[in-house]
Amino acid sequence: MNNCDDIRGRLTLYLDNELQGDERGAVEAHLTECETCAAVLARELNFLNAVRESGPLHVASPALRARVAAILSDGRAPAVEPRVAAKPHRSGSRLSWVVAVAAVLLVLLLPMFLWRVMDQSATPHGQPSSFALMAKDTHLRRARGQLPLEVESASPQNISDWFSNKVMFSVKLPNYQESSGQEKLYTLEGARLVSFESDYAAYVAYRMKDRPISLVITSDSLAKPSGGEEIASRGLKFHYNAIDGLKVITWSDRGLTYALVSDLDERGQQSCIVCHEGTKDRDFIEPLKPKS
Amino acid sequence: MSNALFSQAALEHIDALYGYAMTLTRDANEAEDLVQETYVRAAGASNRPDGDGLKAWMFVIMRNAWLNQVRHVNSGPRFVDLDGNESVEMSNNPHVVYLRKLEREQVRKAIESLPDAYREIVVLRDIEGFTYQEIATVLHCPAGTVMSRLGRARGKLRTLLSSWHSALSVKSMAVGKR
Repeated sequence: MNNCDDIRGRLTLYLDNELQGDERGAVEAHLTECETCAAVLARELNFLNAVRESGPLHVASPALRARVAAILSDGRAPAVEPRVAAKPHRSGSRLSWVVAVAAVLLVLLLPMFLWRVMDQSATPHGQPSSFALMAKDTHLRRARGQLPLEVESASPQNISDWFSNKVMFSVKLPNYQESSGQEKLYTLEGARLVSFESDYAAYVAYRMKDRPISLVITSDSLAKPSGGEEIASRGLKFHYNAIDGLKVITWSDRGLTYALVSDLDERGQQSCIVCHEGTKDRDFIEPLKPKS
Repeated sequence: MSNALFSQAALEHIDALYGYAMTLTRDANEAEDLVQETYVRAAGASNRPDGDGLKAWMFVIMRNAWLNQVRHVNSGPRFVDLDGNESVEMSNNPHVVYLRKLEREQVRKAIESLPDAYREIVVLRDIEGFTYQEIATVLHCPAGTVMSRLGRARGKLRTLLSSWHSALSVKSMAVGKR
């Protein structure tokens, strides 16, 4: 019964986890005895792993996530009508009217738009970046218990290892408390992936004094820190934003952009001091302390 | 299931639903609309399943919504650029990183270039991990059809990848001889 042809005919079902009980046992028993079939299985498994690891092919944008969250929270339909439904073929004359009106509006509104953009860029305390806003939203979901972690560990090394094949950049979480010998002020809880700009960002959850602290990491090709109060320290520029009662600090370093979110009472840059009060970080935190 | 629990559970599937919407529409704007439409329908439904069945149920809603919309819309195949938003990968071994990235890109392109029905079934099984029976429910077809179509889809995918791999090897050899 368990000849090679029979087994090979079932290998796909076996790899797709569609065989149960005796059928599965029979395939596994044959594979331990037959090197040829085991080699066929290995090739098929390699192929399927390559396909499966190519995902996710697409990731929902933070904007879409926010719109869907609104739909789920109060059941209201999105403000914008679905584009698919609003795509009937228009007559040529109607389309040309639309284009003409749009052109007129563009001419009238463009100077106003440019003025606003220039005004914002000239303002030192501009709007927070989309990355900072995403980090804030993610933190709120975590604080509300709506963001389960995909890995739970208090070990920075374990968390760093977990991210190794999941994001397109290297995550290496430091262990400031251990290296500085300071009292354990905060604990690492775990991590998960979150979507940002059609890709995955790394989310790391900490806790201090029973309050959550969120660290979100992405590539600096996707997010640049901007807006808020800018503070320079040891060659890095930190942007401090207060958004919806939360402190959001963003900065870029060695190809990555970070966002740290908390509701700690400390003012802006002092949030950093809370975790970096160790002796080795004295040079780092000194410029962040408020000038007396 | 309470509304709060449903919302939390449903939101967990947004990336998978968006990926499936992209598979169906091949257009980011249409995919976003389709995701919203799916959540609107799901939120208003009275027969919400619990636990494991939720994801497949939402995929069924999405596919039905898409079929209703797409029958009257001309949505020709367009190649989706999967590379535009890729971030830079950093690792200790740039060659390994390059090969891994190259392989992932090739597989993604191969999946995107599959005929619609093949692409859909590969995404449902190999990207989203649905069982044959769940796929049969989503596609409204017998489980036997899922099995045979999946076999043909993977065969086509394997052929595409092996031909690209051969072409890449020839190109690499040509570069090496210079």
